[in-house]
Amino acid sequence: MKVLVANIEDVMREAAARWTLIAYFFLSTIFIIIFASAINLDIVDGALAGAKLFGKEVNMDSSQISVEKLVLGFETGFSVFLYFLCTFLAIFATAHLVPRMQEKGTIDLYLARPVGRVRLLLSRYVAGLILAGSNVVYLMGSIWLIVVWKTGVANPRFLLGGMIIFLIIAVLLAFAFLIGVFTSSTAVSIMTTYGIFFFGLMLAAHDRIAAAVSKQWQAWLIETLYWVFPKTAELGQAVVAFVGGNELPERVLSALTPAPFLTTAAFGVGCLMLASWLFTRKEF
Amino acid sequence: MTTLIEVSGLRKQYTSSFGKAKITALDGIDFQVGEGELFGLLGPNGAGKTTTVKILLGLTHATSGTASVCGLPVNDPESRRRVGYLPEGHKIPNYLTARQALSIFGRMSGMESAQIEKRIPVVLENVRMGQWIDVRIKKFSKGMTQRLGLACALIHSPHVLLLDEPTDGVDPVGRREIRDLLRDEAKVNGTTVLLNSHLLSEIELTCDRVAVLRNGKVAAFGSVEELTRQTASYKMVATPMDESLVASFRETGAGVERVNGHMVLSVTDVEHLNALVDRLRARGGVLCELTPVRSTLEDVFVDLVRADEHTSVGAH
Repeated sequence: MKVLVANIEDVMREAAARWTLIAYFFLSTIFIIIFASAINLDIVDGALAGAKLFGKEVNMDSSQISVEKLVLGFETGFSVFLYFLCTFLAIFATAHLVPRMQEKGTIDLYLARPVGRVRLLLSRYVAGLILAGSNVVYLMGSIWLIVVWKTGVANPRFLLGGMIIFLIIAVLLAFAFLIGVFTSSTAVSIMTTYGIFFFGLMLAAHDRIAAAVSKQWQAWLIETLYWVFPKTAELGQAVVAFVGGNELPERVLSALTPAPFLTTAAFGVGCLMLASWLFTRKEF
Repeated sequence: MTTLIEVSGLRKQYTSSFGKAKITALDGIDFQVGEGELFGLLGPNGAGKTTTVKILLGLTHATSGTASVCGLPVNDPESRRRVGYLPEGHKIPNYLTARQALSIFGRMSGMESAQIEKRIPVVLENVRMGQWIDVRIKKFSKGMTQRLGLACALIHSPHVLLLDEPTDGVDPVGRREIRDLLRDEAKVNGTTVLLNSHLLSEIELTCDRVAVLRNGKVAAFGSVEELTRQTASYKMVATPMDESLVASFRETGAGVERVNGHMVLSVTDVEHLNALVDRLRARGGVLCELTPVRSTLEDVFVDLVRADEHTSVGAH
């Protein structure tokens, strides 16, 4: 526990001193302020009578829309955006944690303590997750509060959708740690992690890609890659489905199956195990 | 005396990137360091000093042989519970203050918060950094950073201190203070100090025993006194010390050099020296002083390194 606390303190202090924390939360705050000031709703008897976006009147076609429906629709669409925003910010803010620790003259100071290497690496991983998780909570919590303030409608599923975002961050951070241990390079960690995020999006079309390739082994390879790599597209859909609930079409709700979650989590666990094994064997 | 550092048959081979070429950094070294002892590890660049220290800390894994610290094998993290380490060219995160750095490393060494809070001012005062406690490390000079590194190594009151060039970048007064601090640690607290330095005078002034590494092997081992005693030169002060006396000595095959009113005699052995004293007395001379001329640790070190160079050249 002491090691974990020490690592959390170290990571937070570093993030604060290197402006990462400030930039991280500043960007989120800017986004929240823009969001809060951009939307003005006119609600009459629990229904939306008029709306302004960035000061401009939104055409309602003289019809009244249920506020609950509007909030649900809005939060569902917005959760996709937050899925990308939170993930990208989190990787930027945490991918350096291992490469910087492994620098000559620094790693000696950490490893000379009575701490096993796996424990050290995992403590740093948890510290990174706390940093990224606090931003997810801040961003999603603020948006949720603004929506409640402006409409009076509270949809707790929006907040819980943050857990899926947190899962994908945890998995991608595990991958960034693996690359960080192997290469000791922050740039490579960030690039490959983003690469795997987009690769995961592409592999969502694995059926069509596999059908389009000419050889059997290529199709097999595509399917294998699909099951091995994190299902970033499916998890994005899952966020939408989770936040939207039963209001969404069956096609989207079908994303809420355990398989993408389990295989993505397994990828993360695998990355962490491999990173720990490499870190244990590494010579400094 | 309890042995706190024990190295036996330690070998380390580094493999090149493609796995073909093998470089032997350590070739079966053995040594022990006891409780409260100040031990120096010497050697030219690439002799294996840093590799030895890294193996003792589990930073690098030995190819074969055994090493233990505080009675525990070095691959057990618990062996580092009571070990303080100051690496050469250390980089304590410079966004921290001295207090924060000591707090983080103290906690990583298993200390309680209250214990850390009490210990920080004491240890910073010991390295003369008390007034810099809440200043960010990026404002520190090299010498101050080095002192803080030493404080980080001492924060958890270690039984064993492994120091790599501890006085690097420190001014002469600071060096003396660090030397005194290390001696106090050894004498008062019984801390075992293993000092790895290129500054031979520093080791000579600080350490009880030294091991000189050369090409991954222990080339010389013993107390500083033992290593520097191996000489056949003597300083003689006598009257009268005229040219005829010098000529008489040279007849025996002795080397005679007149230096600032005394003679430095190079003899083959003690009998040879006694024969020279007999000659002095036979001429009615009076012996005022006769002392062995000790070589410095630097002389011993240079001789060992040169001997190796000659061997290498001969082999070629």
